[in-house]
Amino acid sequence: MRFFDPHIHLTSRTTDDLQAMAAAGVRAIVEPAFWVGQPRTNVGSFVDYFSSLVGWERFRAAQFGIQHHCAIGLNSKEANNEGLAREVLELLPRFAFKEGVVAIGEIGYDEITPAEERAYEHQLAFAKEHDMVVMVHSPHRDKKRGIVRSLEVAANLGFPMRKLVIDHNNEETVRSVLDAGAWAAFTIYPHTKMGSERMVEIVKRHGSDRVIVDSSADWGVSDPLSVPRTAALMLERGIPEADVVKTTWQNALDAYAQSGQIDVEALLREPEVDQTQLYADNSVLRGQEPRVDVPTPN
Amino acid sequence: MDTAQASTQDARAWLDGALGARLAPEAADWLRAAREEVAAGADGPRLAALLSLASRRVPRGPLAPSADERAAAGAALAGWDPERWTVLEAARAALVLARPDLDIEAGAAAVEEAFRYADVGELCALYRALALLPDPARFAWRAGEGARSNMRAVFEAACCDTPFPFRWFDDVAWRQAVVKCLFVEGPLWRVFGLDRRLSPELARMALDLADERRAAGRRVFHELWLCLGDHAGDRGRAAVEAELAGDFPLGRRAAALALGRMGAADRARELAATETDPAVRDALLAAADGRCDQAAFADLDPTPST
Repeated sequence: MRFFDPHIHLTSRTTDDLQAMAAAGVRAIVEPAFWVGQPRTNVGSFVDYFSSLVGWERFRAAQFGIQHHCAIGLNSKEANNEGLAREVLELLPRFAFKEGVVAIGEIGYDEITPAEERAYEHQLAFAKEHDMVVMVHSPHRDKKRGIVRSLEVAANLGFPMRKLVIDHNNEETVRSVLDAGAWAAFTIYPHTKMGSERMVEIVKRHGSDRVIVDSSADWGVSDPLSVPRTAALMLERGIPEADVVKTTWQNALDAYAQSGQIDVEALLREPEVDQTQLYADNSVLRGQEPRVDVPTPN
Repeated sequence: MDTAQASTQDARAWLDGALGARLAPEAADWLRAAREEVAAGADGPRLAALLSLASRRVPRGPLAPSADERAAAGAALAGWDPERWTVLEAARAALVLARPDLDIEAGAAAVEEAFRYADVGELCALYRALALLPDPARFAWRAGEGARSNMRAVFEAACCDTPFPFRWFDDVAWRQAVVKCLFVEGPLWRVFGLDRRLSPELARMALDLADERRAAGRRVFHELWLCLGDHAGDRGRAAVEAELAGDFPLGRRAAALALGRMGAADRARELAATETDPAVRDALLAAADGRCDQAAFADLDPTPST
C-alpha cells in the first residue's frame, strides 16, 4: 500500500527515518511550520526555517522518493511573543506562494490567549483572501474548548470548512469537527494524543469520510511510521480496505490537493529516486553509492 | 557599462519574443500586468510574491528555444545559451529585468533580497538572469554562492551556459567553480570560456583530485580530463595514459580527447590503430585531428539533453 502522512516535521528526523518511511510505502508528506522545541528569538530564525521547508527538506525527502509539501504559518505558542509575531506574519506573503506550499499552518491555539487569537484570525483571513487550505493545531490543554473555538472563529470569518483541517483530534472532539464540515485529522503518538488501537475504534464508529491519520512525528518521542502501522492494524481488525485507503491516503490528498500544489500525476507513478541530485553544500549520502531509479540516460 | 546596458536591453527584447511566442493569453496577461507592477516600483515583498506566484500562473515546461533563438541570445550576450531554460525561468527573469532601477544600488539590493527569500526554482531563475543585468560584476559574490551549491540544478544555473564565471569570477572563484562542477557532476563542457581560462594551477588541482579519487578506489570524473589542456605536463600525461589503460569507458573517451588537448596527436593516432572500443577509437581519432575543444565533450555528457 501507499501512504500520505499529512503532518510530519521531517526537519527533526534522520535519513534512517526517511529510508524506513519510503520502505513502508510513505509516498508523500506535509511538513507544517511549527515551533522548534524552544522559542525563537528573532525573525531571521523564521526566515531560515521557512526557507528550509521550501528548500532543503523538500529536496532531502525527494532523494528518498518521498514527495514533500509544507504549510507555512506562525504557530500558536510563538504567537504569544507579539513583537516577533508581527514580524513573522509580515513574512507570510514571501513564503506562502512558493512551490509545494499546500496550506497555511499549523496555526490555532495553545493557551487560548488573545494574542493567539489575533494571529489565528490574521492567518485565516490571509488564507481566505488567497484561497488557501488551513491546517489547525489543537491545544493539549483544554483541547475540546480550543477546537470548538477554532471552528467558531473560522466560521465567523466565513472561512470555507472544506478547506479547514483540524488536527490532533480525539474521541471527544471528532464529532464537532465532522459536523462542522471540516476535515478531522488524528495524530498517532505512542504515549500521548491517540494510539492506533483507539484510531481503529474511531473509524469503526465515525466512518472514514473526512477522517485523516497522521504521525506528527517531530523532535519528541514519536513514530514516523504511525500511518502505515495504523493502516496495518485497521486491516487486521477488519476495517474495509476502502476505508483504510481513505484515511491513510486519499482524504489527505483530496484535502491538500485543493491547493493545486500537489503533483498528483507524479505521485501516482512509481517513485523516482535520484540521489545524485545534491543540495546546498550537503549531500545526504556521505560517500555511499547513489541509488538511482531514473532511467539510464543515453 | 554601456555595452552591459545594451545587452540588458537586448535580453529584455529576447525574453519578450520567446515568451510572447509560448504563453497562452491568460498567462501572458498575468505576466504583462506583473511586469508593469514591477516597472512601477513594486517593493521587495511584492517582487518576492510575484516571483513565487509565477509558478502558479506560468507553465513549467522547457522553453526549448529554436536554433535561431539561441543564436540571437548569443549575439545579445556572448556566452548566453538559453537552451536549458524553462518557460517559468524566462518569465521570472523577465520580472526581474522589468525593474527600472537595476543600474543603481536600490535595484541591486532588490535582486539580492529576491535571492534571500528564494526557493529552489526561483534560485535557478535568478542565477540564470544574473549575467543579463547591468554591470554584472556587482553580483560576483552572489554568483559564487550559486557555484558553491551542491544541488546540481542550482550550480548549473549559476555556472553553465552563461558568461558569468568566465567574465566576472576572479581566478580563485573560477578554479573553485570548475572543480566544483566535477563534484556535482555538472556539465563542465557547458561552462562558457573553459578552454580560454585553463591554467597550470587548475591542471594541478585537477591532477591532485584524480590522485585522491584513485587512492580511494573511486573512478575519476570523466570531465576532469577537460581541465588539463596544454598545462598537463609529464604528470598529466601519465595520468591520462593511466586512464586510457583503465576500464571506465567514459573516462577513456575523455582521456583520449585530453591527449589531443595536450598536443599529443601522434600518440592518439598510434593508440587508435589498436583500440577495440569503437567509441574510444573515435575519440582518439578526433583528438588526432584536433577536434577536441570543450564542445567535443558534449558527446560524452550522460545527462539527457532537454
